[in-house]
Amino acid sequence: MFKVLPSSLLLKSSARIKRNILYKPIISFTSPTVVTPRFLSTTLPRLHGHLHKPKPGEELHCTFILKDGTQKKFTVAKGDTLLDIAQGHNLDMEGACGGSCACSTCHVIVDPEYYDLLPEPDDDENDMLDLAYGLTETSRLGCCIKMNKDIDGIRVALPQMTRNVQTSDF
Amino acid sequence: MKSISIIGSGPSGFYTAYHLLKKSPIPLNITLWEKFPVPFGLSRYGVAPDHPEVKNCEETFTQFANAYTIPSGSNNLMHKFQFIGNVQIDSEKLFKLRSIQDCVILSYGCNNDKKLGIPGENDTLGVVSSRQFVNWYNSYPENACATPEQWKGSDFWKNVKNVAIIGNGNVALDICRVLLTSNIKQYWQNTDINQASTEAIKHVSNVKIIGRRGYEQSKFTNKEFRELWELEKYGIKGNIDSKYLSNVDESKLDRAGTRRLEMVKEYMKPFDQRTKKNYKKFKPPSTFTKFWEFDYMKTPVKINKDARNNRISSITLAINKVNEMNKFVIDNSKPCIDYPIDFLITSLGYKGVNIDELGCQKHLNNIKFAGDHLATNREGQVLSSMDNKPIPGLFASGWIKTGSKGVIVSTMIDSFTVGDEVIKYLQCSATSNQQASIIDLQNTVLDSTNYKPTTWFDWLKLDAYEKKLGNPRRKIINIADMLKIIGK
Ligand SMILES: Cc1cc2nc3c(=O)[nH]c(=O)nc-3n(C[C@H](O)[C@H](O)[C@H](O)COP(=O)(O)OP(=O)(O)OC[C@H]3O[C@@H](n4cnc5c(N)ncnc54)[C@H](O)[C@@H]3O)c2cc1C
Ligand code: FES
Repeated sequence: MFKVLPSSLLLKSSARIKRNILYKPIISFTSPTVVTPRFLSTTLPRLHGHLHKPKPGEELHCTFILKDGTQKKFTVAKGDTLLDIAQGHNLDMEGACGGSCACSTCHVIVDPEYYDLLPEPDDDENDMLDLAYGLTETSRLGCCIKMNKDIDGIRVALPQMTRNVQTSDF
Repeated sequence: MKSISIIGSGPSGFYTAYHLLKKSPIPLNITLWEKFPVPFGLSRYGVAPDHPEVKNCEETFTQFANAYTIPSGSNNLMHKFQFIGNVQIDSEKLFKLRSIQDCVILSYGCNNDKKLGIPGENDTLGVVSSRQFVNWYNSYPENACATPEQWKGSDFWKNVKNVAIIGNGNVALDICRVLLTSNIKQYWQNTDINQASTEAIKHVSNVKIIGRRGYEQSKFTNKEFRELWELEKYGIKGNIDSKYLSNVDESKLDRAGTRRLEMVKEYMKPFDQRTKKNYKKFKPPSTFTKFWEFDYMKTPVKINKDARNNRISSITLAINKVNEMNKFVIDNSKPCIDYPIDFLITSLGYKGVNIDELGCQKHLNNIKFAGDHLATNREGQVLSSMDNKPIPGLFASGWIKTGSKGVIVSTMIDSFTVGDEVIKYLQCSATSNQQASIIDLQNTVLDSTNYKPTTWFDWLKLDAYEKKLGNPRRKIINIADMLKIIGK
C-alpha cells in the first residue's frame, strides 16, 4: 500500500521495517469518495475554524478519510492548512498547539500518490513526527501542509490514536 | 443528567472534561476542582516560558470553559460545566464527593519529587530538585512551594558557575537552556519567565547533564535536543564525548534515534565542515562563553559540602558498566570520580502522591498506589488497596495515572481514552445522583468557612490582570495577592 520511503525521512532500513510492522494503518485510499455535507457538531460549540472562501475558478479539493473509514471531500481555498480545513469542518483533529508545529496532534497519513508532491518536511516537523502516534512512511503534520494547486485533490487519512507508542520521558 | 467531579485542572483534567462534553450522549454536570485559583497545571507551571506554542492548549480549554460555564455559557447546551478553584481535594473531601457524584476522575498530576537517596541530598545548600527549580522560574505560588530562602539573595548566586543536572529528560534540557541563556535579554524579554530568577542565575557558564545509562538511553526528545545545539548562535557550545557514541548500533535505532545521532555528529563538527545545510542555519560567534555537556554511565553516590557554609562543593560519582543481564550497574573495578560544582539539580521526575495521604484522613478511600502513581486497570478505573478491584465510579487520567511521563499529546490521548471509558461506565450504571449545584457541592464538600473558592470568571479577571502587567503576562506569585485581585 505504501511506497518505499523517501530519503527525506532519514530512516535506516531496519528501523523502517520495524515501524511498518508496528504501525501499519488499516486505511484504504482506494475506496470511492462520497461527498458529504458539512458536519456540525450539535453538542460542542465550534472552537476553531477561520476558513477562507476560494475565489471563483480557483477552488481546490481535498479529501479526509476518517477513523471509521468515511470519506469527506471539501472544496477549499489556497493557503488554508489541512488543520484549518479539518477544524473548520469539525473533524476529529485536535491541533493542541494551535498549528505551531509543536504537538503532533494534527498528524495525517498522506495518500502515497500525493506524498511526493509535498515539499520535504523540515526539522521542526520531523521532530514532532518522531512523537506522533501511529506513524507511517507517509505521515505528515496537517498544520504544515498548505493547500496549493500542486496538491489539488490531496487525500489524507486521520490515524488511529493508539496508546503506549510514546517513548519520550521527563 | 449525571454528575462528575474532576480533580485537578491541568491538561489531563481539562482534556478529560473536554472529551466528555464533546462525546457524552448523556447530559453531564461537570465540576473541575483545582487547588489554586489559577487553572492549567504544568502548562502554566511546568512548560518552559520559551515554549509558548506548547501552552496553546490553554486556548482550547478557555474557549470551551467560556462556552459551558453557567451563567454566561449558551444555555441551550446539554451539558453544564463549572470550575472551582482554590480548593485542595484531600481524602476526606474525595470521600464526600464520591457519595454525591456519579463519577469522580482523579487528574491531579504529580506534585512531589523523586529522590536520589544519597548522603547530602536533603541537607546541603545548593542541592534542589528540578521541580523546585522549575517552580522558581515559572513563578509557582510562593506559599505553596519551598523555595529555599537563600536563593532569593543575589549573593548566593554570585559564585554559582558550574551546575550539574542528574537525569537527562526534557525537564533537564529545559533547565539547562534556562541556565545558559539567562543573561541574554532578548531571548527572554517576550516571555513570562520570573525575571528575578534569570537575573540571579546569569553567571552560570557550565552545565553538565549526567545520566546513569548510555547515550542511546537518553530520555529527551529531538526537538529539545536541537534547541540546545542551536544555542551555539549565542556562543553556547555543546559537547558529547565521542566515546559514548562509538558503540551505538546504528542498525538498531528507530526513526528518532537515527535522526538524533545525525544531529550529534553534525553539530560536533566545526561549522564549516558540516555537510547538511540545516545544521548551518546560524553561524556561531568566534568565541564560546558558555558550555553544556552530556555525561553518561555514572551513578551519584555522595554530595560533598564545604563545612564552613554548608554549601555543595562537589559530587562523587561511580562509573557504571553494562552487566550480563544488560543492566547498568556500578563497575566496582573503577575508582569513583569527583566533579567540583556550585549547584546540583536532581531531575529524576515528578512523583505522584496518594490523595488518601492528604488531609486529616478521617475517611480513607482505600486507593491503591503503585510506587509513584495510582494503580488503575486498563479502563482507567482506580483500584482498591483492599481487594485490588476497581473502586466503583473512581477513575484517573494524566500523570497521576501514568507517572510523570509523556508530553501533553500523550496526556491528551490518555484523557480521551479514559473519557470514553467513563461514558461507558455511566451508560451502564443505573443510579444517578441528583445534579449537585455549586451550593450543594460547597455545602457538602467545603464544610468549614475557611474556604474561599474561586470561579472560572474569577480566573478570567486574574488572567486579564496578569496580561496587563506584561507581555505575554506577568504571573502573580502569591495566592493572597491573587485573591485580592479577584476581590475575595
Ligand atoms: C518542567 C516540565 C516541562 C514540560 N514541558 C513540556 C513541553 O514542552 N511540551 C509538552 O508537550 N509537555 C511538556 N511537559 C509535560 C506536560 O506538562 C504534562 O504532560 C501534563 O501537564 C500532565 O498533565 P496532568 O493534568 O496530568 O498534570 P498537571 O499538569 O500537573 O495538572 C495537575 C493539576 O492538579 C492540581 N492539583 C494537584 N493536587 C490537587 C488536589 N489535591 N486538589 C485539587 N487540585 C489539585 C494541580 O494544581 C494542577 O493544576 C512538561 C512537564 C514538565 C514537568
Ligand atoms: S497543530 Fe500542533 S503540530 Fe500541528
